[in-house]
Amino acid sequence: MSLFKHESKEIETREKAEVTTENTRPGWVFRPDVDILERPDAYVIHADMPGANQETVDINLEKGLLTLDARLVEPDEALRPLHGEYRSGSYHREFRISEDIDSSAVTATMKDGVLELLLPKSAESQPRRIAVAGA
Amino acid sequence: MTLYTLQRPYSSNAWSGLFEELRREMSPTMRASNAAFQGTRGVYPPVNLFETEEGYVLTAELPGVSPDQLDVSIEGSTVTLSGERKIEYAAGNGTAVHRRERQSGTFRRAFELPAEIDLDQAKAVHKNGVLTLTLPKSASSKPRQIEIETR
Repeated sequence: MSLFKHESKEIETREKAEVTTENTRPGWVFRPDVDILERPDAYVIHADMPGANQETVDINLEKGLLTLDARLVEPDEALRPLHGEYRSGSYHREFRISEDIDSSAVTATMKDGVLELLLPKSAESQPRRIAVAGA
Repeated sequence: MTLYTLQRPYSSNAWSGLFEELRREMSPTMRASNAAFQGTRGVYPPVNLFETEEGYVLTAELPGVSPDQLDVSIEGSTVTLSGERKIEYAAGNGTAVHRRERQSGTFRRAFELPAEIDLDQAKAVHKNGVLTLTLPKSASSKPRQIEIETR
């Protein structure tokens, strides 16, 4: 079947990486792609989790371990697959975070399948400008 | 085994990955879904195509692509997805990028479906970073039952 007429190569799809730890639940578990930025006041994590939303995402911060999870939403069984390039599953990824993060101020937002986590640095670890007083 | 499983690039231990695959292949439900995996690797965005009673459903994973950066056009039986995935971070001001795994750039893909699409009934929904196109077949490409007259 000549399904594909034109293919652009500017972005290449990378196959979703599977989580390699032991998994006792059925189904696929994928490791979301992330970008991690450090601003003077906070760390920012963006994670691609297509198909996940506020209700299915679960974020935990315990003993310095930040865990991202998203449950699988069961696909519609009435559909007969003709062609497949990606699989749907759960998401899981863990980050060990540094001690300079104010864990009570961590916030998360979800938009268009992208999770944004804002991890503010604690007041003590933020850079400060010290004014020099004239004599 | 399908090509898909043999080409998996990310398995750190090729043998354990292979055995894991074999185990999965044994399960009848996985076998059914593997049958649909025909390859086409690397092209963005990844799509899945399904058949329904009325026509086709095409889904594409486009996390972080807002509807105004995405263009869907249908002509006859050809569906084209194009757009741009922009990832911009305010540089400077002491911002450092520690890890960059998410990809950005422009994309364009066109699909020739087995039947003509009813343009008026076609629907596109972009939700949670997944684009779902509902593409009913046009009346002329649907099978029709022809009544036989008796004389």
